Amino acid sequence: MGKRIIIVGGGVGGTMLANQLVKKLYPEIQRGEVRITLLSNSPDHFYKPAFMYVAFNQFFHEELKRPERSLLRPEIEFQVDEVTRFDFSGQHVQTRSGKRYGYDFLVIATGCVPAPERIDGLKEAGDHFYQYQAARQLAQRLSTIEKGRIFITVSFPKTPNIPHQCGIAPVETTLMLDDFLRRRGVRDKVEIVYTYPTTAQLLRNCLFLQRPTGEILPGVFEQKNIRFQRGFTLSRVDPDRRVAYSEEGDEQPFDILMATPPIRAVDVVLESGVSQAENHEGWLPTNHETLQVYGLEGVYVIGDTVDLPVSKAGGACHNQAPVIANNITAEIRLGAPGAVYDGRVQAVAQMGLNAGMPLWYDYAHDVLPTPPSKLGGLLRNGFNRGLYWAVARGML
Amino acid sequence: MDALNESPVISASVNMLKPDHNAGLEALLNKLQPLLDGGRMDNIVDVLALVSDLVDLLDSALVEKLAGLFEDATAVSWSLGNAVRMAKAETSAEEAPPSLYGLLSLLREADTRRGVALALRTLNAIGKQC
Repeated sequence: MGKRIIIVGGGVGGTMLANQLVKKLYPEIQRGEVRITLLSNSPDHFYKPAFMYVAFNQFFHEELKRPERSLLRPEIEFQVDEVTRFDFSGQHVQTRSGKRYGYDFLVIATGCVPAPERIDGLKEAGDHFYQYQAARQLAQRLSTIEKGRIFITVSFPKTPNIPHQCGIAPVETTLMLDDFLRRRGVRDKVEIVYTYPTTAQLLRNCLFLQRPTGEILPGVFEQKNIRFQRGFTLSRVDPDRRVAYSEEGDEQPFDILMATPPIRAVDVVLESGVSQAENHEGWLPTNHETLQVYGLEGVYVIGDTVDLPVSKAGGACHNQAPVIANNITAEIRLGAPGAVYDGRVQAVAQMGLNAGMPLWYDYAHDVLPTPPSKLGGLLRNGFNRGLYWAVARGML
Repeated sequence: MDALNESPVISASVNMLKPDHNAGLEALLNKLQPLLDGGRMDNIVDVLALVSDLVDLLDSALVEKLAGLFEDATAVSWSLGNAVRMAKAETSAEEAPPSLYGLLSLLREADTRRGVALALRTLNAIGKQC
């Protein structure tokens, strides 16, 4: 019997990796020596970063989804079946339909989920843009506010040195919000307050999780009359009084609370018992270089479920997928993995509704901010509307 | 110990550049010299102006249309490429070409029938546009 590779999760990480594995292992697949199966809990694939645009009425639901099958090479077996249990010692996964899938190599690409319920009152009073319905609700509020106070806050995972989802998203959406309210003609009556927690990965009392970007933000915000405050770690929210309280003892009133919520791994990963992450957050112990899960034979992890100090974003998956594809191929052909992930993440940040800023970083280098430009904005728009689907197919 | 507070004496001839000296600019001019000599610098300026015009013309709606075209083109070529690759691999793996019965039995497979339906509907849609 040939080698069985199971990928769990049909997000961008799982999808591009499955396609790249087919390309790498084509001779073995042709000879029937390797079989690749992708399991997902949804027949559809969503372009998750577009939820951010939904909050500003820029994307329709149908534009940000494609059938997952249409993004996968035909050699991949695709099953819409949610994995409910990992049995690592027995080398199989159990699914909701009752089936058991045995594997020789397993890739966990299950992403993460927002967990606003982990902060008292946040679920009731806060808004976010990390899921479609939540982003629609936020869009409704942002489209109708005439005057008042929009309070932006960011919560980090409790596990040390783990970032929140998509590092630059809070800055992007703050600048988009400023533009959006100017377009609506109500900006002068709406106060925008951007806050950042005291502990942001390795940094303390900054406005961003990397110092060079954090240092230019005050100038950017001052130009646009956006207020900012360091050292606001959200501890609880009073939905009736509409006040946000911080661990540092501060309290801030709001009309809209635009909050980056706490995040956690999906249930099946939490229940696997492999993670030692704090606060039951579920990040898997990941080899920084090979992307294998420590202590498990033949198990890799990609994207948001890792415990690496890099962005939980598609730009990270884009660089992790080729490493995992090479390592699984090397394990099959040579008996040991050989490729190394250097922590590289690249993206084009949306800096306002029209401008963009290309950025990249890795384990050793922080983002070096460059001036946002119209060309950068057009590049991001082109990526959102067309290039992304070629990236998911493993073409770019 | 006064020596500690004395200003260091730096030779005027070392590390001193003329105020108008710019190493980067000089390197660029050297690179451009052949174009200047050949009178072809005008073409480069024209290209820059054209690029600048294109950037001015591009707006979100146009980028969205271009990106849509890109997606349509890549999705179709990807699907066709996948199909041909897979079909070629499966056909070349067969020792002998399939018999007539073998060809007909391909039609028994649901995926084949779906593919035939797709091809016929494609022809149907082409016919509609004639």
